Amino acid sequence: MKALALAMAVLAGFATLEPVRAAEDAFRLPPYAHAYEPQNVDERGLWMEADERERQIRDSALRIRDGNLEAYLRDVLCREVGQDRCLGVRVYAMEIPMFNAAMMANGSMEVWSGLLLRVRTEAELAAILGHEFAHFELRHSLNGFKNKRGASDAMAWISVLGGISNTPVGGANLSLLGSVYRFGRDQESQADLLGLKYLANSGYPANSASQVWQTLMAEEDASALGRKQRPRQKYTAGFFDTHPASFERAARLAQEAAKLPVGGDARTKEYQQAIAPYLPRFLSAQVKLNDFGGSEYILSNLSQRSGWTGDLLFARAELHRARATPRDLQLASQFYREAKTAGYSNPDLDRNLGLSLLRNGQTEEGRAALSSYLAAYPEASDAKAINALLGN
Amino acid sequence: MRYAILITALLGMSSSACLANALISPGPHAAIAQSRLSATPDGEWNRLSRRDGKNVELWTLDGDALNKVTFFGGIPVGRPLLREVDKKNRPLPKVTSNMLITDIPALLESTYRSQFAVNQLQIETQEPALLDGNKGIRFTYAFARADDEVLRKGEGIGAIVGGQLYLVTYEAPSLYFFDKDLEKFHRLIATLKL
Repeated sequence: MKALALAMAVLAGFATLEPVRAAEDAFRLPPYAHAYEPQNVDERGLWMEADERERQIRDSALRIRDGNLEAYLRDVLCREVGQDRCLGVRVYAMEIPMFNAAMMANGSMEVWSGLLLRVRTEAELAAILGHEFAHFELRHSLNGFKNKRGASDAMAWISVLGGISNTPVGGANLSLLGSVYRFGRDQESQADLLGLKYLANSGYPANSASQVWQTLMAEEDASALGRKQRPRQKYTAGFFDTHPASFERAARLAQEAAKLPVGGDARTKEYQQAIAPYLPRFLSAQVKLNDFGGSEYILSNLSQRSGWTGDLLFARAELHRARATPRDLQLASQFYREAKTAGYSNPDLDRNLGLSLLRNGQTEEGRAALSSYLAAYPEASDAKAINALLGN
Repeated sequence: MRYAILITALLGMSSSACLANALISPGPHAAIAQSRLSATPDGEWNRLSRRDGKNVELWTLDGDALNKVTFFGGIPVGRPLLREVDKKNRPLPKVTSNMLITDIPALLESTYRSQFAVNQLQIETQEPALLDGNKGIRFTYAFARADDEVLRKGEGIGAIVGGQLYLVTYEAPSLYFFDKDLEKFHRLIATLKL
């Protein structure tokens, strides 16, 4: 409660004091206690639930255990909020192709692969991690829980993931995803402001946070267009939305960021290096989600960062092959070939090129590609099926 | 009047038979999944009343979480494998006319990823197979659904016949259950007729 009161005071400070003081306040972070223990019955209960959820994600088959991804994410968070604050935090990377990160009351944070695929720089990643950390530091899940128990404010909880997950999540998924923590609109605004302070303190460009939301809005529109629907960006927060409308949010974040120092390096290269080993499988999962418009937007967005690499071209080809109109199949073949030129060397390229050509009626070329797949990879688990296609 | 009561009672019985899970006794069973598909199991199975789609029928021995046979009976071009839960936001991929046999497991994978939040699915072996004399594919796979994260294995046989997709799959937890009933599934699919 103290933390909330403090945050309120900080917010009030923003609104009322003269600009000079406000600028000083921008660097003043709320105090924090190391090795904090829950204080009362509500908080202890909440921590117990969070501990249980953390056990689940720690042992989950979806956790990305290989390589240094989790250590890297933790480093980014530490760089963002400071070494002392991040001491007690555990970060888990989960292979779930949706845009989400969540921090629980007990100091464990999960970051989903869909988020890692979408953010373009370390600064954008840091903006989101800092935002989640701000929820944690302001003890929003406790206050949210109290609100919820109060029932009068239950409205704030009847909501969809809409705001944080750009991939629309239906009712079924909501229950599947379990205890994803969602917060009320005021809490989101507070976390946004505190997150911005972390950004400014750590030297990342202050406008990274608003860029994330702009990108997400554009993707959602692209996704709707790809499904022959009207773009559905809501430009004001609806009655039942717990998260402020993305547009409002992006605008406010940009406005607040303008008050802060511009910041320095977004560390794009470091982010790219850290994510490179995982990129092919993140892309592959995205392409199989049957969201042509959204996936295409993500690919072209990533290509602005790195150019059209072999991995990106291969994913683009897969996307078109899955939709499989004659035009798509032609484009798929073209992109597979470009991916090869760009250095994509996995033998599955020849197989998928062959299948794409075959499906488009270019039998001779298709057979040639499938034959070179089998020559390169005779013990492949699908060799018999591919052989059968060659025999047809 | 007596006839009317009798007819009502009969109708009631037949409709409750449709609504409830039902015993599949050994012997021939036609019109599986409201299609041309028929099979002759040599042992007892249970048919679930739940329908995951218009032409989808579920059989099980111990409950569908432990062993599940799914019959996809003649899904026409332009239709998804399962009933779409959220057509607007999570549409499912559709059967297309120029599908190759290797596109059948890919369609199942993409459907599962959207419908059941299956975030990890590996298609393992793929080999040509005949479904009642029609050229098709037999494949194995492994996956975990987001709701229980149990590692399951699956095996399927499918073919496109007359522009419609026929597919029969068997799924069970890889621990103990998959191997326990795999032989029964193999005996069952050996009797499939179109």
